[in-house]
Amino acid sequence: MKYTSLLLFLCVVCQCRKPYEPAVFTKADNYLVVDGFINTSAAGITTIVLSRTKNLTDTVLSIPERRATVSIQNAAGSSYSLQETGTNGVYVSNALVLDNSGQYKILITTAGGSQYQSDLVSARQTPVIDSVNWQQNSKGVQLYVNTHDATNSTRYYRWQYAQTWEYHSQLETIWGIANGLVYVRTPAEQVHICYSTSLSSGVLIGTSAALSQDVISAALLGTIPQDDSTLAYRSSFLVTQYALTAPAYFYWQIIQKNSEQLGTLFDLQPSQLEGNIHCVTSPNEPVIGFMSATNQQQKRIFISNADLQNWQPAAGGYNCALVNVPQNPANFLLVDLPDNSYAPWYYVSMGPLVLAKGVCVDCTLSGGTNVKPAFW
Amino acid sequence: MRYCCHQCAACLLFFFSFLVANGQDTARITAIFSGSSFPGFVRVVEATSPYHFYYDSAETDSISVSIQANRATLSQLLDQLFQNTLFHYAIDAGKRVFITKKFSISTALPPAFFNPVKSSYSAAEKNNLLTDEPPKDKLKAAAANKLYEIGTKSGRDNKTGAVLAGYVRDIKTGEGIIGASVYLDTPSIGVNTDQFGYYSLALAKGRHVLTISSVGMKDTKRQVQVYSDGKLDIELQEYIGTLKTVIVSAEKRSNTKSLQMGVSKLNIKLIKQVPVVFGEADILKVVLALPGVTSTGEGSNGFNVRGGSTDQNLILFNDATIYNPSHLFGFFSAFNPDVVKGIELYKSAIPEKYGGRLSSVLDVGLQDGNKKQWTGAAGIGLLTGKFTIQGPLIKDKTSVIAGVRTTYSNWLLNTVPSDAYKNSRANFNDVNLRVSHFINEKNTIYLTGYLSNDKFNLNNDTTYKYGNKNANIKWKHIFNNKAYAVFTAGIDQYQYGITSTGNKVNAFKLGFDINQDYFRADFSYSPSYRHTISYGLNTIYYKLHPGSYTPADPLSLVKPDILQAEQALESALYLGDQYSITPKLSVNAGMRYVLYNYFGPRTFNNYVAGLPRDTATIISTSSYTSGKIIKTYQAPEIRIAFRYALSDSTSIKVSFNTLQQYIHSLSNTVNVSPTDIWKLSDPHIKPQQGQQVSLGFYKNFKSNTIETSLEVYYKRTKNFLDYKSGAKLLLNSHIETDVINTRGKAYGVELLIKKNSGKVNGWLSYSFSRTFLQVDDPIAGQTINKGAYYPASFDKPHNVNFIGNYRISHRYSMSLNVIYSTGRPITLPIGIFNLGGASSLLYSDRNQYRVPDYFRTDLSFNLDGNHKVKQRFHNSWSFGVYNLTGRQNAYSVYFVQENGKIKGYQLSIFGTAIPFVTYNIKF
Repeated sequence: MKYTSLLLFLCVVCQCRKPYEPAVFTKADNYLVVDGFINTSAAGITTIVLSRTKNLTDTVLSIPERRATVSIQNAAGSSYSLQETGTNGVYVSNALVLDNSGQYKILITTAGGSQYQSDLVSARQTPVIDSVNWQQNSKGVQLYVNTHDATNSTRYYRWQYAQTWEYHSQLETIWGIANGLVYVRTPAEQVHICYSTSLSSGVLIGTSAALSQDVISAALLGTIPQDDSTLAYRSSFLVTQYALTAPAYFYWQIIQKNSEQLGTLFDLQPSQLEGNIHCVTSPNEPVIGFMSATNQQQKRIFISNADLQNWQPAAGGYNCALVNVPQNPANFLLVDLPDNSYAPWYYVSMGPLVLAKGVCVDCTLSGGTNVKPAFW
Repeated sequence: MRYCCHQCAACLLFFFSFLVANGQDTARITAIFSGSSFPGFVRVVEATSPYHFYYDSAETDSISVSIQANRATLSQLLDQLFQNTLFHYAIDAGKRVFITKKFSISTALPPAFFNPVKSSYSAAEKNNLLTDEPPKDKLKAAAANKLYEIGTKSGRDNKTGAVLAGYVRDIKTGEGIIGASVYLDTPSIGVNTDQFGYYSLALAKGRHVLTISSVGMKDTKRQVQVYSDGKLDIELQEYIGTLKTVIVSAEKRSNTKSLQMGVSKLNIKLIKQVPVVFGEADILKVVLALPGVTSTGEGSNGFNVRGGSTDQNLILFNDATIYNPSHLFGFFSAFNPDVVKGIELYKSAIPEKYGGRLSSVLDVGLQDGNKKQWTGAAGIGLLTGKFTIQGPLIKDKTSVIAGVRTTYSNWLLNTVPSDAYKNSRANFNDVNLRVSHFINEKNTIYLTGYLSNDKFNLNNDTTYKYGNKNANIKWKHIFNNKAYAVFTAGIDQYQYGITSTGNKVNAFKLGFDINQDYFRADFSYSPSYRHTISYGLNTIYYKLHPGSYTPADPLSLVKPDILQAEQALESALYLGDQYSITPKLSVNAGMRYVLYNYFGPRTFNNYVAGLPRDTATIISTSSYTSGKIIKTYQAPEIRIAFRYALSDSTSIKVSFNTLQQYIHSLSNTVNVSPTDIWKLSDPHIKPQQGQQVSLGFYKNFKSNTIETSLEVYYKRTKNFLDYKSGAKLLLNSHIETDVINTRGKAYGVELLIKKNSGKVNGWLSYSFSRTFLQVDDPIAGQTINKGAYYPASFDKPHNVNFIGNYRISHRYSMSLNVIYSTGRPITLPIGIFNLGGASSLLYSDRNQYRVPDYFRTDLSFNLDGNHKVKQRFHNSWSFGVYNLTGRQNAYSVYFVQENGKIKGYQLSIFGTAIPFVTYNIKF
């Protein structure tokens, strides 16, 4: 039609994506987070970690809640206090003998004067772990736990595991440096073989609620991806098992779902948490966490690289940036390091001292310890 | 007062001979009339005698003259002719003969009294009768002045009432007019025409004046003399604004007189006056401007009525269920305005013939097509083009209407200078086809097809597609004046799909569809003028494919996941009666009984009794074979409405109804682009139930040109689904583990002030509505907001809509609409915490916060071509600005993790002022 030419108006279509930052993102209250459980194992130590929720825009790793008064109280009113240790809001009890069939609650008074307490929870008996086993498949190494309760009364379980693995520095050396002088490390000072430990991440829970017997068979705890360096030599897995109540199980289930990735088509709907810890001084204030009381059961297994099929971690990972330092004719042990990130590797016979980046020769710089753990 | 009657062109044969006598008083007439019309008779008598007749041609056209006169006096002749009829005559000294009906006149009275018709009509009707005309003027014969005799005089039965039925049609196109009101003033009874333009009115025998009005059409009246049941088709003329400009209003009076409450009827002419984006008349936009109707925002799929969710609206497009009524992120409605005849939205007193949704029924009527001549319309806008053609395949018997609409918006997206939009695509199209075939007076068949497609991609590698496909056949059969039936059979399909091909390894295709086959038989029976009984049965067979996830590329490693199909049958029987107890008080009572069967093939999970449904509490699965009934739900539904007229312009209406809903949708609102999933009630998911009571007060001012209404309502719902914390909605094969039953309450007030005519017309509506939900699920294992009532995700307390038209002259007009509503509720992440080794998000209470309020102003100017009625082409321009203030209203709000941080984004589409221009041509 002849009119079409008239239609070429200038038109701006704007599909605007702009940041959406309601005031609550930066101004939300920081609520108390109570992590831990009341340990009713024989001479068990209860560890409670107190922190505060962070705002979405906060960059700090965590906001520890310090200088709080924390205690465990049983149904009869007897109290067992916890002491703050370190600066991360960690509160630890003495080795306590708590009745494994009693009822307990946790009491917290923050430095700010707010009082919190949990509902009185009945201690649950955690059955022993029958076995922890693993299987290598296309995904890597998968770790499973098996347990059962002959009395059919546990039903809900939570696990955590600590993986401790051996790793080696990229370059091996006998030399160390102290006060500008190179020296030979003692066996205790060796920095070639180290051990590192990390706790399982995420929420590991399971239930036998739908089964006629209280049996957990091959519950998946975690997967170590194929060729992961934590299995380059040997790893230990210490699995801890806790019994939960049903409400605690469903609470942890929400935490589990809630920690998944955002921003995909398959996003989960927002969730809400309603735990069993309440603020006494301000009843409407949310408190994060669900207090349980139970004894813990543990089992450790080892996996060696030799047990695995075709497990070949990529070597190294660090750029070692070698530097030669001419020998000091006055004292060949006297070394002037270009900077402190370098460490001696080896001496070339009658030649220079070869330096490498410290992380390449010193495994402790990668976060582990050179002390072989007692259980190793 | 000699009328020339064009109807008498088809005069019957008559033979005559004459002889004029000498004396004035003794004029003798000799003639043979054999089936002559009255004007023919008059012509002969006047030609052969000094007498001069004064009569109403319409009134007398029922007279057939068969007399043999041999030198008879006129008195003898007329005595014989009018024997046993209602006619009287009078002859005065000047040899003037006055013919009157029902009453006689005395020639001795002053001539001013010689206006017999006038006295029998109310003053309001004077204009139609042209009684001011001087007696000698010829009155243009209009159907309004004619007396229609209904039924047979001889057919005397003992009943006091009779039923008048027929079609109200557009004189130009032969198209039936929906929702035209046909009513009597005294007693105050009336009906609205149905979707075919058919009406059936029970009234007392005797003389009545029917008034027929419909929007955009000239009001007309019919004088009827009812002897027994009969038929009267009425043709209305289109209102053409060549006279003093008045927008003829829809059901001027039915606001206070109709028994329906919470119903809005809008004709397409009114809808077309409302300015909308890109100049395209938009049915949904107008619906959204009605009181009690809100949307959760731009791009939302559909609308919310009286605090209901979007899935609680039954959207019927000529009986076809439309699951997604919008195009292009909701900017256009799926209904092509050129093929739509009008809409009816039922918000509270939902007629018993409808069911299956809790909140409302939106009935969109289609035109039948012009039965008399071929016409068309075309429109070109910046984003859309459309073309409609209609005409008779067989004149006055078979008509067809076809409409096509498409968009070419891609060029616009590509002109945006930023690279960010280079890959964006947005397309839609729809096609309508309707064939109506008039078999005979008693039978008419209608065939309808509808197809719509949408495809868009907002600058990423994910393409969203959806579409509706509908077809049905309808047969209307008239048994007699008192009873008719409509049989409808059809199929509906709605499907959507998401395809992502950006990364070949992850390339996927997500599919979803709903299919339904349905049959309806609707009967209407009017045994007396006090009762109109409707009854019938509906049945719908549903088949849903709730999700499939398949690789979209040969290299894709996506593992196919296809959820099991679902089948169900929803059947209902209904019976209702509209009963006028007194002229002031009427009641509409109905009952609907619904039976719902969910059947196999399907495998279900069985969960531990008394524990929350969870993947961890599955004890076993049960498999059911094809056709095996797995679960049956049944329930009666009640519909009651009362109307009491306080005065001619004021009425009060009360209604109560209960409803069931067996298909649920869960809206996934956390994504960039919201996706909905639909779910049938099954052994785990109970049907939603709703009850509503509402009270309305209606008052019209200034001879019904200003309508005001105030309606309040209170609703309760049961088993409304909300999601659990951390629910997975898409591709969830055990959705019952992720949803929670809630009970809801909703209440609100709706105010409407509507001015239908004048230079400035339009309406202003305000709705206050609240919807709260509360967890009502003993085995949910969790609660929402500690078990307290919380606002539903579509709770929007304040809504203001203004639609105004200012007619500058006959050809220029200006329209403005302003929309404000409270932003919809949202659950926000408000913090991060570490617990048990997991880093997790802390969310606010459910729906604790709200997205920014919605506000938009649109302005448009309409330029009509000339108004020559006979012109072949009529064209019009409209141009204006959408979103005049350029406010960036949120299309969606979502959260992503970027560099380990949670970031919130608000996406607005067309978040700026958009000028538009559209050219329309009608031929």
